[in-house]
Amino acid sequence: MASKTILLVEDNADDEALTFRALMKNNISNQLIVAHDGAEALDYLFCTGQYCGRDQDLGPQVVLLDLNLPKVSGLEVLRQLRADQRTKLLPVVILTSSNEEQDRLRGYENGANSYVRKPVDFNQFIESVRQLGLYWLILNELPPARR
Amino acid sequence: MSSQTAERNLLEMPQDSRSERSVIENAHRATLNILEDFALEKCELERAQRATLNILEDFASEKSQLEDFQHSFLNILDDFSQEKRQLEGTQRAVLNILEDFEGEKANVEQANVQLEREIQERKRAEEEIQRTNRDLLAANKELEAFSYSVSHDLRTPLRSIDGFSQALLEDYADKLDATAQEHLRRVRSAAQRMAALIDDMLNLSRVTRCELHRQKLDLSAMAMSIAAELQEAEPGRSVELVIESGLSGVGDPQLLRVALENLLRNSWKYTSGHAAARIEFGKSMENEKHSFFVRDDGAGFDPRYADRLFGAFQRLHTAKEFPGTGVGLATVQRIIHRHGGEIWAKAAVEKGATFYFTL
Repeated sequence: MASKTILLVEDNADDEALTFRALMKNNISNQLIVAHDGAEALDYLFCTGQYCGRDQDLGPQVVLLDLNLPKVSGLEVLRQLRADQRTKLLPVVILTSSNEEQDRLRGYENGANSYVRKPVDFNQFIESVRQLGLYWLILNELPPARR
Repeated sequence: MSSQTAERNLLEMPQDSRSERSVIENAHRATLNILEDFALEKCELERAQRATLNILEDFASEKSQLEDFQHSFLNILDDFSQEKRQLEGTQRAVLNILEDFEGEKANVEQANVQLEREIQERKRAEEEIQRTNRDLLAANKELEAFSYSVSHDLRTPLRSIDGFSQALLEDYADKLDATAQEHLRRVRSAAQRMAALIDDMLNLSRVTRCELHRQKLDLSAMAMSIAAELQEAEPGRSVELVIESGLSGVGDPQLLRVALENLLRNSWKYTSGHAAARIEFGKSMENEKHSFFVRDDGAGFDPRYADRLFGAFQRLHTAKEFPGTGVGLATVQRIIHRHGGEIWAKAAVEKGATFYFTL
């Protein structure tokens, strides 16, 4: 289980700390990679820029993607992932503050696997992270790797 | 000519009797001749008289013809003068009509000028409306961007406030006394309440902004499904839900569900202080209008404050009595108004409330 990494795309340091805390509270000890904007997320996923030496095969088990991001927006990151053979089937969970209909619609339209709204109540957030971890890291099976 | 000769012959007769006789005979012959002459003359005279008479007769008939002709001519003249009078009458009438037309024409011209002015005014009004519409669209876009920002950006710091307060409570429980912990709990509850207010405010603005999709709706079925959800969420409560069957209305399914859910949820909430409660959904004649109603026998409210009932963030109960943000009924009212309907309420303290609405 420890080999399965999580990519968290989150620009807000508080949210990053709280997400980390929520994972700890749920004893989810998978490696957590944090990209602080859309461009960094794309660099990580496509092994470019600061991540140019990374092994593409060791992709994340799941991407937790915020929508409102500096440089490249969350939706644009999603579009580029879905347009590329290497990341077309990668599970992406949109994890955001917004519950605007438009965001939900565009998220799913662009191929998100799931859409979760971050609750304000931290206890509820811990519960959300627990269920996300249980589902995407344990229950869910990934599609076979492409060669 | 011959009468003078005969007279001289008669005066010469006594001078000679022999010659007298021949004289007489001559005279006689002469007389006879004269008489013959006279007879001829008479004949001729008679002929001439007859001719004259004939001529006169002819003249008489000519005269009567002339008279007839004159009569008919006079008649014709009479007729003509009548015609003339009639023509004059007609002419006067035509002139009057023409005069009237002049008047009418002036009226029409005036009306045309007025019409032209109205058209110009209407054009200006239309341009004004278009400009207002453009402004409105721009304002709407701005409002959408604003709502989006509120939805996303205002919630993020609230999560930090709540999350780190909780972290303090958990990680530093041994260093914080009871008062400090109570303070942190208040901070958390305030952050959560603000989050609820933001959500309700966004829902309220969404209700105003979204497009209406009208269709015929089974309101009884809608009310029943909401009632089932309420009972499922709190199975321990004893509430009799009476929903009239066969009620239908035309409206937006999503918005009317939000409205009906708010009303029924309110009834559910404000009857929570009573051991047993009854909530009704039905239709009746109120203020001479077919009105739907949601009635309960719960806490009700003081009708003196009824005018504050539908104001956003206005509450008639404290949060301790009944929790809430004061946006629910404002949302319901906006939905009903957007459908062109009306909403009003009747209530008394501890005697329940009835909300009536039309579509």
